[in-house]
Amino acid sequence: MRLRPIGHHDIDELQALAQETGVGFTSLPNSREFLSAKIDNAVAAFEGRVPEQERLYFFVLEDEQSGELAGCCAIEAEVGRETPFYHYRVGKLAHSSAQLDLHRTIDTLFLSSDHTGDAEVASLFLRPAYRRDRNGTLLSKARWLFMAQFRECFPAKVLAEMRGVFSPDGVSPFWESLGSHFFPMEFKQADQLTGLGQKSFIGELMPKYPIYTPFLPQAARDCIGQVYEHTRPALEMLKKEGLRWEGYIDIFDGGPTVEAYIDDVRAMRHSSCVTVEVSRERLAQSDRPGWMAATTGMSDFRCSWIGRGPSEERVITLTTAEAERMNVVSGDSLRVLET
Amino acid sequence: MIASDVVSRVMDDSAARSVGNLLIRPAQAGDLAAIELLAGSATPRLTNLPAHRDRLEERIARSARALAHNVDFPGDELYTFVLEDRDLGEIVGTASIRAQAGAQDAYYTYRQENLIHASQQLNLRHEVQTLSLSHEMSEVSLLCALSLDSRYRGTSAATLLRRARLMFIAQYPERFAQTLGVAFPGYLDEEGRSPFWDSVGRHFFEQGYHEINLLAGVRSKSFIAEVMPQFPLYLPLLTPQARAAIGREHPDHEQALQEMLAEGFVRSRHVDIFDAGPVVRGERQRLRTLTHCGWHPVRIRPAASLPDAEPAMVANQQLADFRCTVARYALTPTGQLLLSEEQAALLGVEEGRAVLVAPMALPNVEDALDEGEL
Repeated sequence: MRLRPIGHHDIDELQALAQETGVGFTSLPNSREFLSAKIDNAVAAFEGRVPEQERLYFFVLEDEQSGELAGCCAIEAEVGRETPFYHYRVGKLAHSSAQLDLHRTIDTLFLSSDHTGDAEVASLFLRPAYRRDRNGTLLSKARWLFMAQFRECFPAKVLAEMRGVFSPDGVSPFWESLGSHFFPMEFKQADQLTGLGQKSFIGELMPKYPIYTPFLPQAARDCIGQVYEHTRPALEMLKKEGLRWEGYIDIFDGGPTVEAYIDDVRAMRHSSCVTVEVSRERLAQSDRPGWMAATTGMSDFRCSWIGRGPSEERVITLTTAEAERMNVVSGDSLRVLET
Repeated sequence: MIASDVVSRVMDDSAARSVGNLLIRPAQAGDLAAIELLAGSATPRLTNLPAHRDRLEERIARSARALAHNVDFPGDELYTFVLEDRDLGEIVGTASIRAQAGAQDAYYTYRQENLIHASQQLNLRHEVQTLSLSHEMSEVSLLCALSLDSRYRGTSAATLLRRARLMFIAQYPERFAQTLGVAFPGYLDEEGRSPFWDSVGRHFFEQGYHEINLLAGVRSKSFIAEVMPQFPLYLPLLTPQARAAIGREHPDHEQALQEMLAEGFVRSRHVDIFDAGPVVRGERQRLRTLTHCGWHPVRIRPAASLPDAEPAMVANQQLADFRCTVARYALTPTGQLLLSEEQAALLGVEEGRAVLVAPMALPNVEDALDEGEL
């Protein structure tokens, strides 16, 4: 399995992926036209034909034996530059009166675009059949290696939006109690429009004043900052990298947005560059992949698990299969991370 | 205690008989106990008339002070009146005028607003209703703190108590604002709970509705308002029960509201911040009592020889000794008002002195509603 930039030839496989993602996964709508444009933009981004802040790096995880796509993930260099990027910030307002012997803090939701200009790791999806062999970890963390390698292309902070709580029949209690009053449409439609990048309607229809959460039913309040069950492992992984919930939530489903300074992300701090040495011999191979390696070029970026770590001399020995998978030869550089 | 239905039947008779024996006059120190009883029996309890002896004593003194001084423009004055049934020799009602609703501090209301959320992208237009804290009503003169002995409800005594204040305002326009307001107690359910409070205020206080109301009355409502949410509230987020209570009066005050609408008050966008009771407002030049009142010299005749005529409110032209009663609007061909000896005495006027007279009858409420703001 290896991760690489998406290419024009991936359109059919990408659409197949899009059909599998379902509700709540806004960035991959099932629209060939949209996906095709997305690929064009991504290719242009990897080739450096787009200004840095407008780039959307879209990666796919492929099974290099079957040629099938197992999943995808993306990095948006700077969100909110072309279309507005909204969150609710969960704030506190003190309601206090000495005469009444009263001191209460009321949770409020403030509409915010605080994250404008931050990078976003997004669009992570792994087909169920491939949810094994640490493929999910590879998909998630490969992005850190990419950002470490091209640090100058990214801003100070990074965020990730996590999918919020939905009932088994796909209903978001948060949306039902809040969004539905302001958006005369179904969650799905609002969700799709957002996925298509048509977000100006949000600012046009959203309540402009803060929302006092006590006015929301308990079921909706319980969704604030909570993730969908299946998103929990992804959240845990990001938390281990040092991303934290700072009180920002999705305006539709109430799911948390986690964030960090890019330089503080664990994978950014712990990855390092080593020199490749390809060996024709049989090499020791750990059962559970523990080392991740990524190439140092942008348009031909590759990332994969490798069977072992580097030597003390900062040399990484690869099998010929591994070298082929990474498209490297002896003497090339690789960025590696133990994880 | 006498069974209340017996009492009310008796009183209905006597109210009809002794229509001329009801008197509105400024409250005096001696009225304190009676006013305290009225404050305690008001349904629902009134924020601005707490059954709190010290506060009520202060209120009476404040009223006397206002009446003892020259006032050139409305300010901090609070005028308190009582309704006396001279036959019983009892105080059976009280009502006040606050010259300026928010004189010492702001008068808080919720203002109903419609926000248009339109999306060009989606080609749709969506209206969202909000309630915004407002100080806009701070400038009006407020007719307030009315409590009437329940035995007189629905009689001309109720009308007199409500509208005699307009007879006072007609005579001393410089003491009051151009716009008058009346805040009616809001809707409470059968259990005496305010659905609006339960959905809104409750979240912001430790105390319950009635306790907060009492505190607001004894101290001031504005310092409590300052603890209320300062940002507008989106109506769709309130409970359906709370939304239904917005601008809805307490069942016991339905008739009073109708009467004030007929008088020329119109529903405003403002509602009470605790229970969402309606606040009506009226421009002085559009209020029936003020536009239809007229001065007439008094002519005294024996009671038995007074002709029948429509009932009217009759007020003398005193300030501290203001008096207003109900009499027949019977005029001589030269425009003198015919009063009995007793009525003239009640008003403290002699033959030849001018009194202010206004008919008690009001036009249809429906006609008045056509001119409403909402």
